[in-house]
Amino acid sequence: MISSLDITLGLAVLAVTGLCLIPRSRLVITMGFLALGIVVTMVWLRLDSLDVALAEAAIGTGLLSALMVWLAVRSPEPPGAGGMQPSPRLPWLRPLIGLACGGTLAVVAAAVWFRVDQQLPAWQAGVEDQMPDTGVEHPITGVLLAFRAYDTLLESAILMLTAAAVLALCRGGGLSDPGTHRLGVHQTSAPMPPVPSALPWAARLLAPALMLLGLWLLFAGSAESGGAFQSGAVLAAAFILLRTSHVSLGAATAHWLRPVLVGGVVVFILAGLAGPVLGLPWLSWQPEWAFAAVLGVEVLLTAGIAAGLYTLFLTLENPEGVR
Amino acid sequence: MIPVWSALAEFSLGAVVLAPLLAAAVSMLVPLPARRVLGAAVGLLVAGLVVPLVVSVSAGEVPELVLGGFEAPVGIHLRADGLGAVFLAVTALVGLVLTGYAAVLPAAEGRCAGPKGWQQGHPGFWPLWLGCWSGLNAVVVSGDLFNLYVGLELVGLTAVALVALGGRGSWEAALRYLFVAVLGSLLFLAGVGLLVSVTGTLDIAQTREALAEVADPEAPLLALVLMTLGLGMKAALLPMHRWLVPAHSSAPSGVSPILSGLVIKAALVVLLRAWLWAVPLSGGAQSHAAVQWLAWLLGALGAAAVLGGSVLALRQTRLKPLVAYSTVAQIGYWFLAFPLLVSAEHDDALAAGAYGAVIALAAGHAIAKAGLFAAAGLLKDRYGTDEIAALRGAGAHHPALILAMGLCAVGLIGLPVSLGFTGKWQLATAAIGAGQWWLIVVLAAGTLLAAGYLLRGIAPLLLQSEDEPAAAKPVSVRERLGESAVMLLGLATIGTGLLGAWLGDLLGVGAWW
Repeated sequence: MISSLDITLGLAVLAVTGLCLIPRSRLVITMGFLALGIVVTMVWLRLDSLDVALAEAAIGTGLLSALMVWLAVRSPEPPGAGGMQPSPRLPWLRPLIGLACGGTLAVVAAAVWFRVDQQLPAWQAGVEDQMPDTGVEHPITGVLLAFRAYDTLLESAILMLTAAAVLALCRGGGLSDPGTHRLGVHQTSAPMPPVPSALPWAARLLAPALMLLGLWLLFAGSAESGGAFQSGAVLAAAFILLRTSHVSLGAATAHWLRPVLVGGVVVFILAGLAGPVLGLPWLSWQPEWAFAAVLGVEVLLTAGIAAGLYTLFLTLENPEGVR
Repeated sequence: MIPVWSALAEFSLGAVVLAPLLAAAVSMLVPLPARRVLGAAVGLLVAGLVVPLVVSVSAGEVPELVLGGFEAPVGIHLRADGLGAVFLAVTALVGLVLTGYAAVLPAAEGRCAGPKGWQQGHPGFWPLWLGCWSGLNAVVVSGDLFNLYVGLELVGLTAVALVALGGRGSWEAALRYLFVAVLGSLLFLAGVGLLVSVTGTLDIAQTREALAEVADPEAPLLALVLMTLGLGMKAALLPMHRWLVPAHSSAPSGVSPILSGLVIKAALVVLLRAWLWAVPLSGGAQSHAAVQWLAWLLGALGAAAVLGGSVLALRQTRLKPLVAYSTVAQIGYWFLAFPLLVSAEHDDALAAGAYGAVIALAAGHAIAKAGLFAAAGLLKDRYGTDEIAALRGAGAHHPALILAMGLCAVGLIGLPVSLGFTGKWQLATAAIGAGQWWLIVVLAAGTLLAAGYLLRGIAPLLLQSEDEPAAAKPVSVRERLGESAVMLLGLATIGTGLLGAWLGDLLGVGAWW
């Protein structure tokens, strides 16, 4: 049964999406995007998908918005609008083709979607049967770190390599400073732009609460909603907030960023190697120590995810180090 | 087959993905010379790990790994069938040679902003390339639709970042490539989502079984269209090829061969998995007609790519864009065979012939194009330009390099003995069997045009230059080593041409028919 709340939410999604696409000012677009994240999170909550809602709120809305706000503040106007200008001779042609393609796609997809005989996932029974082998209680954590641990490992590797890519584009290419073990990326010690004095005060107040929230999401994940990705996003947000409000993180970042970044993936693979060493398949954990393995991997993955997301923010400023 | 050997194959199945990934992570912590040593060591290790898999498959087995011991649909299966074994082996061969090439030539890694401005050599190359290799192997051995998506993302993201190592000038091309790669992945994911909603499983073999019982063909068809569109973007099928030329030609010289030789093959492998393994084509008559229509469309686009890409390659004045347009043309051949793969008569021999042709052409292209791009990059780094007119007479200093380029050209044109020739021969045979004479015309025209553009690119290197280029600095030992890497690829182009029959047997293992 479709309630008026559902209809309102659906219309809100459409309206806010328009706000993200139509305005020319990056600041307005960013605000629209923030609002869209909140509305979409509410849609997920309405669908009883607490885990997706948490992930959407933490990563899709929280962190992505931080990157977009930075971009909007630094360069409010899109540079030269690029390929978005109408063609001089037939200005109506591109919008017309776009509308026709979008309309056709929507009609075809909707027609197919309403006709198909949808099946429930075949893995539900299997997940319930095999949960005791995983060492955790929450089915979503079980899927992420036991049944489909391989996907989670590759996804964590993608985030790690994204951070490697942005570090590579910085001055020094992500190497240490000569003769030291400190990351040679100049942004770690670069000053941030001035901010109102209330922000540092608020950030110092908020940071412990965010840390606590992040850790709660991490440890709750084995029994309830939450987990490494959401927790890592909240922790990264705390670091971003501290850096924006001039709390000095430079020395710690230079020492620890790369080891923390790769630690989760390295330990995940080494823990996965325990299977073949004991004559089992890759990524097998015996029920006796499965919980310890899952928890250890999850803690390090969280740290790696937080470090990866923080790296993306850190390296936004002046990547080539040109004065 | 002895049990130890099977156990080794099962171990290798996971290790070919996880060993390079572990090395990618570790390489981020060490200085540049150690990264090069680590890269070369892991390259040798991965090539060694591929051996038991290829031996197992050629003995008629399909090694399978149930990750974590959780059976599908709950868990993920990895499999190495004939298709997987061929691409694992080709990736290992090309990857190992290119690893050596990049380890001896700093310029091949890219250009890095240092304290004294832009300088040659890039530490970021190693984690990204090892991560990319891991992703390529993950795509090839995956038996799960969602895992295929994750593998594609790993390959796409690292490939984009590798392009960006070419310095400021390559960033725009990399950004464009990023948009295309992400859009392509999303379309593929939408197709996967649609398939799951009707089958309830992500495992490829189970998807096939479940789809055989689905009465309504619309959803699988739409899923197939979405996946084909997304993968067509990633494989740069004409008219979705515009991103490829700037990305492949502005990438560093060690990266262009990886992109043209290996990365676009990942999209082809996933496309074949979707068309031939996941979605059964012999469903209802109605669905079959629609699939055939789609296959004909792909065939027509393939023909347009062969002809259009070749003509555009002929018109280039710079070496790397010429080689990149040649890739656009060669991609067309793989799609030319699609109408024969799903012919109305359900002729298995015909389909097997066309399938063998696609794989032979793609494998041959991987080796030959990697060699040609590595050679073009070496010349560009040495002389500071890849204008063909400016490189006139450069061959006098690099006789071995020119010979290697000639060997690679043999494979790309499709002359005997090479996999390019085997593939074209099989495709022509299948076309005659199906009575599709137009295919022969496209093949012949493509071959002539390929000979034309490769001659245009290579011949000026051999001519006597008007102004004596003897003033050029002597060729260093490192450059000689880089040339020998190209020579290895050139020799492999010819050597693999002798393996055509073995390749056919290998592809029969675990095939969809």
